[in-house]
Amino acid sequence: MYRGRLEKDFKHWVGMGLLPEASARQMLAEYDGRESTFRAGRVLLVLAALLLSASILLLVAANWEALPRLARLIGIVALIWGFHFVGAVFSLRGHGGLAAATLVLAAMSFGAGIALVGQMYHLSGDAADAILLWFAGACVTALAFRSVAVTTVCGGLAWAYFLTVLSENGLGEIVEWQTWIVPALAAVVVILVRVTDAGRARHLAYLLVMGWLIWLYVENSSLAFAGALAGGGIIAFLAAAMPGSPLRPMALEAGSAPAFYSFALALIGFAVLQFEAVGLFTEVAAGAAVLTVALLGIALAGAQNGAVRYLGYAAFAGELLYLAFETLGSMLGTSGFFLISGLLVAAIAWLVIRIEGRLMRTRREEVSL
Amino acid sequence: MSDIASKRRWLPPLVAALIAAVLQTAALGYMVESRASILRNGKEVLLKTVPVDPRDLLRGDYVILSYDISWLPPELFKGGFPAAPEEATVFVRLGKQPDGFWGASEASFKPLAPTDESVVVQSQPFAYYPSSSETPSSINVAYGIERFYVPEGEGRVLEQARNAEALSVNVRINDAGKAQIRQIAVEGTPVYEEPLY
Repeated sequence: MYRGRLEKDFKHWVGMGLLPEASARQMLAEYDGRESTFRAGRVLLVLAALLLSASILLLVAANWEALPRLARLIGIVALIWGFHFVGAVFSLRGHGGLAAATLVLAAMSFGAGIALVGQMYHLSGDAADAILLWFAGACVTALAFRSVAVTTVCGGLAWAYFLTVLSENGLGEIVEWQTWIVPALAAVVVILVRVTDAGRARHLAYLLVMGWLIWLYVENSSLAFAGALAGGGIIAFLAAAMPGSPLRPMALEAGSAPAFYSFALALIGFAVLQFEAVGLFTEVAAGAAVLTVALLGIALAGAQNGAVRYLGYAAFAGELLYLAFETLGSMLGTSGFFLISGLLVAAIAWLVIRIEGRLMRTRREEVSL
Repeated sequence: MSDIASKRRWLPPLVAALIAAVLQTAALGYMVESRASILRNGKEVLLKTVPVDPRDLLRGDYVILSYDISWLPPELFKGGFPAAPEEATVFVRLGKQPDGFWGASEASFKPLAPTDESVVVQSQPFAYYPSSSETPSSINVAYGIERFYVPEGEGRVLEQARNAEALSVNVRINDAGKAQIRQIAVEGTPVYEEPLY
């Protein structure tokens, strides 16, 4: 994606005479030579590793009787050792892709081992605990090798834990401490991401926390919880994006994600408050709060952070339309409502064009300075 | 999806492999031994299974087992019930009945001391909500022995036996109250006996 855009832009600049053609070619060559760029071959290798590990897991699930189970257990342990050491050898020889794929196989074999022991002793009601142990083992592999691929596996396992806890409430309700494990796992994944530089895997952790918070709200919906979500989101967003905040440099270093997710959390919180609101006055007050938050997000982080900006626009437009529908919709009838919506959207468009224009001017000034 | 580990690794890869493999093997070994020790040293009880609902219960490759002692009538709780919702564990005293099977003779939300003739088994933790009506209702608990894994395609026989109430399960229980399935029998004839390892 980025590679394609880069090449197109280079052609454009070369055509305009802004960039010598030789430099453009050298820059592209440098980009292609980077270790971390997307390579179809590597992705396919890791996919192959995932398929192979699925076959190991399914072999365990089949409870295959041709081998005595002690032999099967020894076999799985041998796979764990074998994949780790083969991964180490690949890593030593500089075959990064093969090492990543083999380490994924090693982490998955550990999961197969846990499943096999569970099967041997007919353990029941412990699927979530088993995934927790699996997560811990995968973290050891990811940390020891600083492996990006295994860190991603850990992110996936954290999600698997959350979904298992959700789906496993056969007896009564979910035990409370299990729900608190979820954000702890997300924190562990973020730490792993920082240690291994697995940039993209961090989204798994952030999304996990968002999903968890939304689920918590669904389970205990109350005004206080909605207020806490909104307040917590605003505080987190200000910490990440407000100039002068001590956490801002750290958040900026982590890319656009901290500002974006805290902003999304604040918006979700205020949207939930809107949902809790009854009566015209509170409804409008909650709506005004959502609009303010959307504008605050655009003002504070919109200039550097496209994701925050577009989420802000979307929230602002959606909230205005919702308010118009709630307050004027019943009075005006359908055609009148569309008239008002049309005017509103036109007004929003005018606002967005003004904001984008201002952002562009400030950027130009920065360049000319 | 790529490793740039070769440039910035902090452990020699062979050491990393050793650490990960040893820790993961130790975890598996601990899991195995914690279960095998129950089989070795636990006290044996014979439990009767009851049919669960008649629909197809075989999910993939295990049979769901439900026991007489999975439903605890309120009379068994001599120490009373918690007044507020809480995360509870139930302790159940099992005693041998005249027909050879073991049944629940007492249950409590607090630990019970085992005696020579009885064994105390501990339920898995669950969220307890006091019943809203005057008379408390029976409590459904799990002991971690509600599944029996079988080779692919062999579950049907056990299921039919279970639904015909012909299935019995030998369970070993250790001093901590943890239960572990040792043997499963149809009409008293063992069909699966579980080795230690």
